[in-house]
Amino acid sequence: MKKLFYNLSYFIKEAKTTIKLNAMSNFFSFLSTGLIFFILAMVISGWWISNQVVAAIQGEAEISVYYVERIDNIGAAQLVERIKGIDGVRETRLVNESEAYRRMVEVLGKDARVLEYFDENPFSPFIEVKIQIEEMSAVLRELGTISGIDYVRDNREILDKIQNIAQILKVIGYLVITAVGITTLVIISHIIRMGINDNKEQINTLRLMGAPEGFIGFPFLLEGLTITIGGGVLASALAAVALNYVYAQVAGPLPFIPLPSREDLTSNLIVLIMSLSAVLGIAGSIFGLTSAKRN
Amino acid sequence: MIEAKGVFLRYSEGTMALKNINLKIEAGELIYITGPSGSGKTSLLKLFMGVEYPTEGALEVLGQSMNKNQYAKISQLRRSIGPVFQEFRLINGRTALENVILGMRFLDIPSGQLKVNAVNAIKKVGLEHKAHSLVENLSWGECQRIAIARAVARKPALILADEPTGNLDKDNALNILELLTSFKDKNTAVVITTHATHLIERDINARYIQMSKGSINYERLGIAINEETIL
Ligand SMILES: Nc1ncnc2c1ncn2[C@@H]1O[C@H](COP(=O)(O)OP(=O)(O)OP(=O)(O)O)[C@@H](O)[C@H]1O
Ligand SMILES: [Mg+2]
Repeated sequence: MKKLFYNLSYFIKEAKTTIKLNAMSNFFSFLSTGLIFFILAMVISGWWISNQVVAAIQGEAEISVYYVERIDNIGAAQLVERIKGIDGVRETRLVNESEAYRRMVEVLGKDARVLEYFDENPFSPFIEVKIQIEEMSAVLRELGTISGIDYVRDNREILDKIQNIAQILKVIGYLVITAVGITTLVIISHIIRMGINDNKEQINTLRLMGAPEGFIGFPFLLEGLTITIGGGVLASALAAVALNYVYAQVAGPLPFIPLPSREDLTSNLIVLIMSLSAVLGIAGSIFGLTSAKRN
Repeated sequence: MIEAKGVFLRYSEGTMALKNINLKIEAGELIYITGPSGSGKTSLLKLFMGVEYPTEGALEVLGQSMNKNQYAKISQLRRSIGPVFQEFRLINGRTALENVILGMRFLDIPSGQLKVNAVNAIKKVGLEHKAHSLVENLSWGECQRIAIARAVARKPALILADEPTGNLDKDNALNILELLTSFKDKNTAVVITTHATHLIERDINARYIQMSKGSINYERLGIAINEETIL
C-alpha cells in the first residue's frame, strides 16, 4: 500500500502515456461510455420520477364527486353527510364554484389569464372526498347507489397508467443497466488489452525484473478508471442539463404533476452514475488485465 | 547461491538446450560462461531467472527451488537478481535515469533513496552526463552501461549478464567486463556469458565454464579457457 502511494505519480504518468498511445480509441471509449451512462441516467430518472408520482397520487387518495345541477346547496349538504357515512371515507368537503375557480387560478399561476376569456365561472361545485386508499373500490360502488350524483372523478385510471409506465421503466431500467454494464466491461477490457499489447515488451521486462503483477497492472487500472469516470462525469453533466430542461418544460405548463425535487433527483443520479462508473471501470480493467495475462 | 543437479532443459518445440547440468555457484563468485552460439548459455541464465524451468533435475536459486506454478515466489526471487539482458531491454521513451529508477520501484527501497541509488549507479558506469538522455538516443555501449547500472542499482545478490560484450569493439568490451567484475563482492555473485574468450582476463578469482551443445564441457578455476585448451 505504501508502495502504491509513493509510486502513484509514476502510475499516473504511465497511465497518461498509455492513454496517449491510443488517444483516439481512448477518446471514443470515453465518449461512448459517457453516452451510454447518459441513456442509463435518463431511464433511471424516468423510473424514479414515475415512482414518485405514483406515490404522491396514492398518498392523496382523494376523489371528486360531481352532482346533478338541480341539487341546491341544501341538497348538496345532505349529500355530503350521506357520503360521510360510507365506510372508508375519512373526510368530505363541499367545494363550491368560486372555490373551484380559485383553486384553478392557483394551479395555473400566471397562465390563469386564460380564465378571463370565460364570461361566467366554468367550474361546477363538487364534493371532495378523502378516502382510505384500500377502500377505493368499495367506496366507488357505494357512491354508485346514491341518486343525484352526476359522475365521480377518481384518479385510479391515471394512477394505473402511471404505475404501468413506472413498471415498464423499471424493466427498461434493468435492461439498460445490464446493457450498460456489459458494454462498459467490453469496451474497457478491450482498451486495456490493447494497452497491454502495445506495452508487451515493457511489461515483460518488468516481469523479468520481478515487478509484482499489481505494480504492472495498476497503470492500466488507472487508464480504465479514467475512461469510465470521465464518461460518468460527462453523463452526469448531460443528465443535469437534461433534467433542468425537462423540469422547465414540465413544471411550467403542468404544475400539478408532483415531481420530486430536481436537486435531490440530480444529486442521487450523479451519485449512482459515478459509483457505477467507478465499479465498472475497475471491473473492466481487471477483466482486461486477467484476460491479457492468459494469452 | 545456485545449485543445479542433473538439470535438463528441453524447449517445447523439441530442442534439448541443456543436458545434465551440475553446477554450484557460491556467493561472491565471479563466473564466466563461454561457448559457441547455440551452446545454451542464455538458456542457462533463463533457468536461473525462472524464465524457463528444468524439464528434468533440480535447480535452486537463492534458496528458491525453480519449479513451475511458483510464479509469485519466482517473481520475488527475481527482485534479488540484477539482470543484464543480451538485448538490454531498456524502456524506450524514457531517460537513462528513469530506466534505472524503474528497475527499483517495486523493491524494498525507500522512495527518497531511489534517485540517489540510480544516480550513484549511473556514476559508477561513467554516464552521468547521459542520465537525462532518452535511451533510444544512446549508443550501443552506452545502452549496455545503463543496463548494467539498472541491474546493479538494485543491489542484487546475483548479477546475470548475458553477452555484455556483444557488438562492442575490443576496448569497450574490456571496459564493460572490468566494470561488471567490479560489482563482485562477498555478498554478490556475478555471472557473465560471453563468446569473447580472448578478452576474458585470466582472473585468478574467477571460474570459467565452457559450454558446448548444451553441456558443461569444461570447468576450471583461475585460468581462462581458450579455444586451444578445449581442443
Ligand atoms: N525459446 C526457444 N525455443 C526453442 N528453442 C530455443 C529457444 N531459445 C533457444 N533455443 C535453442 O536452444 C539452443 C540454445 O540456445 P541459447 O540461446 O541458450 O544459446 P546461446 O549459447 O545463448 O547462444 P548465443 O551465443 O548465440 O547467444 C539453441 O539451439 C536455440 O536454438
Ligand atoms: Mg545467448
